[in-house]
Amino acid sequence: MFRLTLEKTLNHLINTNNIDTEGLNNKTIGLSVDEFNLKLLFMFTNSRVFVMEMHDQQNIDVDIKLNKTAFLSLFKGASFEELIESDEIDINGSVKTAQQLADLIALTSIDVEELVSHYTGDIIAHQLGKSIKLVKGKANNDKVSIVETLKNDLTTLLVAPSQSRFFNNKTH
Amino acid sequence: MGKTTHFGYQQVDVEKKQGLVKGVFDSVADNYDLMNDVMSMGTHRLWKNYTIASSNVTEGDKVLDIAGGTGDLAIKYRKKVGPSGQVILSDINSSMLEEGRKNLLDHGVIDVEFVQANAESLPFEDNTFDCVSIAFGLRNVTHKNIALEQMHRVLKKGGCLMVLEFSKVENEMLEKLYDFYSFNLIPKLGGLFADDEQSYQYLAESIRKHPDQETLKTMVLDAGFGLCEYHNLSGGIVAVHKAIKT
Repeated sequence: MFRLTLEKTLNHLINTNNIDTEGLNNKTIGLSVDEFNLKLLFMFTNSRVFVMEMHDQQNIDVDIKLNKTAFLSLFKGASFEELIESDEIDINGSVKTAQQLADLIALTSIDVEELVSHYTGDIIAHQLGKSIKLVKGKANNDKVSIVETLKNDLTTLLVAPSQSRFFNNKTH
Repeated sequence: MGKTTHFGYQQVDVEKKQGLVKGVFDSVADNYDLMNDVMSMGTHRLWKNYTIASSNVTEGDKVLDIAGGTGDLAIKYRKKVGPSGQVILSDINSSMLEEGRKNLLDHGVIDVEFVQANAESLPFEDNTFDCVSIAFGLRNVTHKNIALEQMHRVLKKGGCLMVLEFSKVENEMLEKLYDFYSFNLIPKLGGLFADDEQSYQYLAESIRKHPDQETLKTMVLDAGFGLCEYHNLSGGIVAVHKAIKT
């Protein structure tokens, strides 16, 4: 569900804010956080992004590995350069591409910590809605619309997948 | 008898399966939506909503809804793609298409195209669609591998395939309850609400004969898709396979 939340949020931002993803088009980027057992695959294509689970031996253009603190900081809009300088991020591939993805993630301002604290399996819609906090920059005006979009789309959370294993038993 | 395949728990000639499935859907078409609501207690609508929410379909997209039946997904895809997009509802069964036409008109939706087509030989150019979707249809297809290859062919590069289908229940206790419900109550409900117990017996059987989550994922990847993952819904009663043409 975290992947779906992130995917929908990123696509909503791309669509409604005319964010140029040309530089990311046809790029496949892996992002992993060992402490959460989280392996995400971002595939940019046709002006949208798919967020899927990354498997070993998957062909990727850029591989980003980061620790828990850096991952959470990324969603709070921390400086990507500073995270690199502090050796909290390990990048294999184009740093520019990684930076573009990081910029996009920072725009979402998803409160990952809150998501982490609630994720022990299926969650209900209002919890997801609360977890989306768009408080920054040009995304600010979208706060209401994106929450509504997500709530409208994700009406199925009571029957939703319980595949958030990277959160289960990892954070508390 | 030549080469055989399953039709529910029966083994039938490969050439005959399509006609037998047609018979089932001709019989259930009139009460299809009602029976879906009764059998799933309305949950099929949530499963379908989840599928659409996961599809990443956006304004201007071209969507092919295979085995689209009574059109409940097509209506929602139509809303998502907006006036600049296109939705084609295809089904092999003319009775189901007829129900779809009526249903869409009842919902005031007139800009969906209807095509009677076999999923194993889709009458569309290569690289046409941004999304191909099939909900509760794949298990009725005789040659699923061919159908998946066809779906791959008609998708654009970067396009997304969504397969919503009954699958393998994860929990043993739930599986026992589900088996009891499927084989004892569903056919009875079919008899009661649709006057057709036999077709709903086939439904229960066909679900058990359908490939499980991992097997279907392998089949999707073998059909040429570069990425595929699935999400179990309602404990694996159904699964959504999402695949990308890379």
